[in-house]
Amino acid sequence: MNRVRLISQSARMMGRYKLRTAFMMLGSFIGVAALTLVISVGQAAKQKMLTMARQVFGDASVMVMDGGGHMFGGPRNPGTRLRLDDLQTVANQVPDIEAWDPQQGLTTTVRRGDASDSAQVLGVSERFELVWSRSASSGALFDAAAVKSSARVAVIGQTVAGRLFNSEDPVGSDIQIGSVPFRVIGVLERWGTDPHGMDRDNEIVVPISTLMRRLTNVDTITGAKLVIARTADDDAMAKEVRGILRSRHGLAADQPDDFSILTASAVRQMMAGIERVLSLYLPMVAAISLLVGGIVSASLMFASVSERAGEIGLRRAVGARTEDIRLQFLVETAATTLAGGVGGIALGYVLARMGAARMHLDGVAPWSAALLGIVSAILVGLLAGLLPARRAARLSPVDALR
Amino acid sequence: MIELQGISKTYRRPAGEMVDALIDVSLTINDGEFVAIVGSSGSGKSTLMNILGLLDVPTKGAYRLKGSETSGLSPSAQARCRNQRIGFVFQTFHLLYRTSALENVELPLLYSDRASIRGMGRKALEMVGLGDRASHRPSELSGGQQQRVAIARALVNGPDLLLADEPTGNLDRRSAGEVMNIFHELNRAGRTIVIVTHDLEIAGHCGRIARIEGGRIVADHKTADTRTALEGAL
Repeated sequence: MNRVRLISQSARMMGRYKLRTAFMMLGSFIGVAALTLVISVGQAAKQKMLTMARQVFGDASVMVMDGGGHMFGGPRNPGTRLRLDDLQTVANQVPDIEAWDPQQGLTTTVRRGDASDSAQVLGVSERFELVWSRSASSGALFDAAAVKSSARVAVIGQTVAGRLFNSEDPVGSDIQIGSVPFRVIGVLERWGTDPHGMDRDNEIVVPISTLMRRLTNVDTITGAKLVIARTADDDAMAKEVRGILRSRHGLAADQPDDFSILTASAVRQMMAGIERVLSLYLPMVAAISLLVGGIVSASLMFASVSERAGEIGLRRAVGARTEDIRLQFLVETAATTLAGGVGGIALGYVLARMGAARMHLDGVAPWSAALLGIVSAILVGLLAGLLPARRAARLSPVDALR
Repeated sequence: MIELQGISKTYRRPAGEMVDALIDVSLTINDGEFVAIVGSSGSGKSTLMNILGLLDVPTKGAYRLKGSETSGLSPSAQARCRNQRIGFVFQTFHLLYRTSALENVELPLLYSDRASIRGMGRKALEMVGLGDRASHRPSELSGGQQQRVAIARALVNGPDLLLADEPTGNLDRRSAGEVMNIFHELNRAGRTIVIVTHDLEIAGHCGRIARIEGGRIVADHKTADTRTALEGAL
């Protein structure tokens, strides 16, 4: 009962020292805002990466790309020698490969009457739907006969459909890709934005034979996705594919690969690295700013204890025990940093929403960040209040009243 | 009410040397007395006051308050005793300046175990004639009014003993008179009051004057006749 009275009076006292309270709040305000921002964006980014990895790799698969070197960072060697029959041979020789789909693409202008759009045009096989799990939301994808005959048919993404057709049904209409006329036979399901910020709905899918013969005029491909049996070990599989490709390309033992292979486990490793940054180092930076805020709070509280020695002496004289004084100063610091922290959560959340919008992230979930923010604000307040409160409680009433 | 037996208090100065603030002081104050302790600065009267108020502990000797020995009390028990039995009035009022008169008066109630404190602060303010100033800040009150708020604060928990350290030291004559009148009324109502002062005119209001000098009580006149007491003190 009297604790409740004491705590509520302590909280009211803080309102009477507005400037000091404001400065004390500022520390936890900024610290918690940074923490909330970093954690909620980090979580959304991680979620995005996982979704993308699932979208790209599916359950189990191996990617083959032209050019050697590293997939991420570092130079990739030129000299694209990856051919369709390379992949066909691999698929024939490795029994665990269940399906595969080659890819070749270019970015070019697409027209329909006066409307035009710059889109990514992908050449793929009839196994596209099976391998990439992308299907048509209206119309249909093309079949093996269309690939065989290099038919001028196209399946367009949602963005392309919107730009060229507005709300009309594109299926059955003609469009021009580069200078070649194509018939639209379907519209792809919505896919979203990839981690590079590319709109994957601004794409057009055509038979790879048509693309190579009529649009790019090359006989190589840029890559392929191999769907493998779930039970297969993707690293062993990658090794096998590599051996076949190296021998087909006639590479000597000391020559580097002129292609690269990416497996789901390699991507998982890379993501673990990114996740470490997102969920450990960035929050650590935020925690340091929170710590600095705590130190500011503590020193302001120390100043407050010296300034209010008379008040402390008086409270002791009218019956405050040392623990009552300690409690009062702890409550004052914790309440202040908590109030700052709540404001910080709001600011951090707003910033996170803004950042997420720019980075095409969605699902910024504030709750775990908010909880952590509140807990750390209280913790910082208690820690910052601990020493000043102890000093206040140890003041002898006689000295304090002098 | 108060029994001091052979009380001594020795301090260590920051410089290191020892100072005897009180030497073998024995003093008995009965229920309902109105006592002035007079002495020049450095005579030990403030130390005596702090010991009487359980703010400080003697180096030697026994202090019985209301018949119970205080030397064995834990700091918490001393705080409880200050809260329930003793009211303090200071020369510099010691009001919280950003806080209303009523909240100042209610401060001791924060540290009491009472289940309900409703109305007690207001009642104490009415006792000192400031019922209509409850929401005023100390800066909006005169010096005399501020000291009356402090007296209300000392009274709010219904203590048996009121200790006042130079209560009129910062007041003009008229305000000092008002404050002393309040003490008189409280004394007539049965409260034991001890005032520490160097002002003999103020001391003249009291029914008994004890003079302290160099840490010892050198004169103690218990008389109804104030004039004789005054002269004795001089």
